[in-house]
Amino acid sequence: MAKGILVLLALLVSWCGSATRTFAAPINYERDIKPLLKQRCASCHGALKQEADLRLDAGALIPPEIRSEILKRVASNDESERMPPEGPRLTAEQAAALREWIAADAPFPKNEIVPTKPAEHWSFQPVKRPPLPTSKHEHPIDAFLFGQGDAPPRATAEALLRRVHLDLIGLPPTIAEQDAFATEGKLESVIDGLLARPEYGERWARHWLDVARYADSNGYERDAEKPFVWRYRDYVIEALNNDKPFDRFIVEQIAGDELPDPSLETNIAAGFLRLGAWDDQPGNPAADRYDQLDDVVSTTSQAFLGLTIGCARCHDHKLEPLSTRDYYSLVAVFNPLQRPHSGITDLAVKVGETDVYAWRETSANAPETHILIRGSATRPGERVEPAVPAILVQQQPAFAPNGEKSTGRRLALAKWIADETNPLTARVIVNRVWQQHFGEGIVSTASDFGLMGARPTHPELLDWLAHWFMHDAQWSLKRLHRLMLTSRAWQAPKNAESVVKYRRLEVEAIRDSMLAVSGRLNPQRFGPAFRPAIPLAAIEANSDKEKIWTPSEEPEASRRSIYVFIKRGLIVPMFETLDIADANSSCQQRQVTTVAPQALTLFNGEFTQQQSRAFAERLRREAGDDVDRQISLAWRLALCREPSDVERTKLREFINRESLEACCRVILNLNEFVYPE
Amino acid sequence: MNNPIVMTRRQLLRDTGLGLGTAALAALLAQDGRAGALSDAKDLLPRKGQLPAHAKSVILLFQNGGPSQMDLFDPKPELTRRHGEMVSIKNAMAGNSEALMASPFKFERRGQSGIEFSELLPRLGEQADRLCLVRSMFHEDPNHPGGTYMLCSGNRRPGRPSMGSWVIYGLGSENQNLPAFVCLRDPAVFHSGGSMQVTNGWLPSLFRGTELRTEGDPVLNLKPAMARPPGAQESSLRLLSRLNEHHRRNYPDESELEARIRNYELASRMQLAAASELDLSAESLETQKLYGLDDAATASYGRQCLMARRLVERGVRFVQILAPPPHNSWDHHGDIKSKLPALCRQVDRPSAALITDLAQRGLLESTIVLWVGEFGRMPISQGGTGRDHNPHGFTAILAGGGFKSGHIHGATDEFGYKAVEDRVSVPDLHATLLRQLGIDHARLTYPHHGRAESLTDPDVTGAKVVKELLA
Repeated sequence: MAKGILVLLALLVSWCGSATRTFAAPINYERDIKPLLKQRCASCHGALKQEADLRLDAGALIPPEIRSEILKRVASNDESERMPPEGPRLTAEQAAALREWIAADAPFPKNEIVPTKPAEHWSFQPVKRPPLPTSKHEHPIDAFLFGQGDAPPRATAEALLRRVHLDLIGLPPTIAEQDAFATEGKLESVIDGLLARPEYGERWARHWLDVARYADSNGYERDAEKPFVWRYRDYVIEALNNDKPFDRFIVEQIAGDELPDPSLETNIAAGFLRLGAWDDQPGNPAADRYDQLDDVVSTTSQAFLGLTIGCARCHDHKLEPLSTRDYYSLVAVFNPLQRPHSGITDLAVKVGETDVYAWRETSANAPETHILIRGSATRPGERVEPAVPAILVQQQPAFAPNGEKSTGRRLALAKWIADETNPLTARVIVNRVWQQHFGEGIVSTASDFGLMGARPTHPELLDWLAHWFMHDAQWSLKRLHRLMLTSRAWQAPKNAESVVKYRRLEVEAIRDSMLAVSGRLNPQRFGPAFRPAIPLAAIEANSDKEKIWTPSEEPEASRRSIYVFIKRGLIVPMFETLDIADANSSCQQRQVTTVAPQALTLFNGEFTQQQSRAFAERLRREAGDDVDRQISLAWRLALCREPSDVERTKLREFINRESLEACCRVILNLNEFVYPE
Repeated sequence: MNNPIVMTRRQLLRDTGLGLGTAALAALLAQDGRAGALSDAKDLLPRKGQLPAHAKSVILLFQNGGPSQMDLFDPKPELTRRHGEMVSIKNAMAGNSEALMASPFKFERRGQSGIEFSELLPRLGEQADRLCLVRSMFHEDPNHPGGTYMLCSGNRRPGRPSMGSWVIYGLGSENQNLPAFVCLRDPAVFHSGGSMQVTNGWLPSLFRGTELRTEGDPVLNLKPAMARPPGAQESSLRLLSRLNEHHRRNYPDESELEARIRNYELASRMQLAAASELDLSAESLETQKLYGLDDAATASYGRQCLMARRLVERGVRFVQILAPPPHNSWDHHGDIKSKLPALCRQVDRPSAALITDLAQRGLLESTIVLWVGEFGRMPISQGGTGRDHNPHGFTAILAGGGFKSGHIHGATDEFGYKAVEDRVSVPDLHATLLRQLGIDHARLTYPHHGRAESLTDPDVTGAKVVKELLA
């Protein structure tokens, strides 16, 4: 009987083996082979582990003499021989693809990027400043990018003015600003002027809030408001406006309460650690506690170090040199944190007279932390002490107690992260800022600098910037902005070849631009979040309608988007549709999608209708009844340029036939309005 | 030549020497060059999975709140015999121990298959020979949000993409005038988990579930917020399109501009299509009656079930219907004796009508109907009249799509507390569903934070296709 089954199995296997692949496309290394090598071979024969001294995680690494052995092992019926030894055998399709590829002499791209051994991974090496390349360009960025070649031309003055405004403050230039620029024409002074404006912080804080998974509510069943969490948002805005050195910004957010000189401000900053979702009535409190710690560990390592350590919660990271020990050693850093709450009510803590939304640490004695076997809260393994990931250090930082009220563990971690010798920190933030200005990072995976992350397209430029940022700029983000924006690379016209990419504005900048153009923008800064009106249908007839969402009234409702209430369970539909960051985990880059509800929202939605009406009223008020003057003003307000003759003719004809208001609605929907040159 | 960033990728493509076609080239350019992503889909055009497909679409009748299996489709004579006895079971939420509580409802064998159904579900019982019951479902989260995320996204923590999002990511849609993944619900209620039930998580937002309503305008902002004179809407869209085309000439390489122009056209088609294609009054009176549109108790849920049929008939890939009001409908912690019959009356007839109607139109073969809540309920009482949450054992009902019919799979223990025989985890169920749609669950992945993520995450969950459920 058993023999019969074996024969049957063998027949089946040989049949599968001879099966041709079901799709007709020729074998494609990137599509058919490389993923297979990574998924089924790399965990034993990859960068992390090389059993039998073999690496099989890239075509370039497979020695030609073992090719036939691979095919034999893959097809073997002997359990002790078969590869891969764990998991199901390769499917017939996979095996056939492999055979076909090897039969074709196993081709792979000549310049295939082969993962290095972890210790040699580029982002784990110290940041050194490479020499500037020989170049006819004075600007360091241009020198790296263009060398002895020509720099691209500059975009038009109008385009640059609009670009720099939207980029730095998220609002289009006013007529007065356009006129001033036309007479003086110095982009550098415009950049300096914008960096000095409070709107700069309101624009750039939003980018950091994406990374920090900021929301105003806790999510889950009750989705209750996080009390006073907006103070953290205001802290970020002010920190950016005051150009707080980034290394200090890091320390305050991870350990603001543990500093030797804690202030109200630094205590608010530490709210960073408490921004995640919170289940106020967990079914399994022990497991939930580790979920909360996981949120803190994962967010902190992604945000500052660009490391995806969360995967090491249940088992050693298969693809990164990060072990469960590394993971739980970081858990040990945050384990002393306690969440202030009373039953299901989330509580703020008092710092002096002020309510602050942050965790609390009350004792110098830390609770024990254990590795959890397969991540299960009920299966504690070996005990661990606080430590940073072993791959990154020769010597662990000292985790020493810090007075009587806290363990000082977070402060030690924060100082290590913010230290100039940390290989990741400066590279990661410089790349984030680059990504925002240029539309695409030098490393395209902004929160993943590990082995599986993307490679830098310009490693030397990135290192030069990181080194310059720490040593010359003294961690000043404003100086970094200025450096990037004064390069010819950034000032080029956008096209398929340009370094600076064409990219849709984020929903916040779209909404704020509409308000600015219509003249309705309420510049009131700081304080509790407001709730814009949402389509009634979204919450219609909900028995808890009032409780769920009470829209704010004017002029509160026309404040900038950074002050919009982010409720995890009910995102404002306009924001959700237009790709707001998912606040459940750290977001490395906004998505840009194009779906029909976006067009419906921007074309038919009540917000656009209101702004179109206000826009039209403004045009009549400021340009009088002359249609040509109205058109000119509208075009300059919205697009920062005069209309062409063709455009002018079309618009005039449309306004005469329909209405100025209808025309304004069209303008607010133009591609050019949301895709700035 | 003057842009090294673009050059590296182009160079790479040129030097591969593997004769990449234009499509592969585009896919590679679109991708970050990360491992594991086997699908690069960034649109909703119809496409096929890796395996032969037995079904094209899914209707998920999600029963928020957690229906009581031992009162509906998992009869337990032992529970009746030992009614009132104390056992070592604790209520999951209340935390206390109470006595075993017999079902107050009668069961009857239905159809040729003789599957037992509660008297509360007479019409669904009529469909017994078309159904596949999985009585051995289980997971570990006794909370509404956690259980809901578990069933909808395969993980009890919020933020992962929902089942519908994965399916349209993998297969696109056969109707480009309607959303590919539709959520229908009674406007009076949004259950635990809110819009997270149909979230795209970190998949591109193109793959999010779109809510359609069964009364009034089916889509948010389908019509202008303020009334416009006749023709004004079309004329405005025309002007927009002309100005955008004029602008686009300066940027011949920017596909996103083109996409955004087409998108306004789609929105405009949707305004027309939605009005006619989703108009339930186009259905015959007989059909409307079948779904119970003539009865106040069944009208709302009936409209949603009927709409679901119209949608899959038109090529929509995934429809998710949420349970009728009140909030967390099936959450019967008390007074189950009167509350359960009232809710069953709302749900029974429309659910059964959907299956009958799909079968009559030859659509059941290509449509998977899944009827399931986020968990089941306890065999012991809560406060003497209700039942607490129970994720350890509950029932899922499947119909169509190549699943067995008139079939029971798995079993709970003597009281209906824990799944003990042929246990089926939620990831197993998801894997099996994907299998029927032609998708290999382990290979439908998306790169996220350094991992090839999937709906079932087989490395962690051990998810596998439950072949015993398949015809």
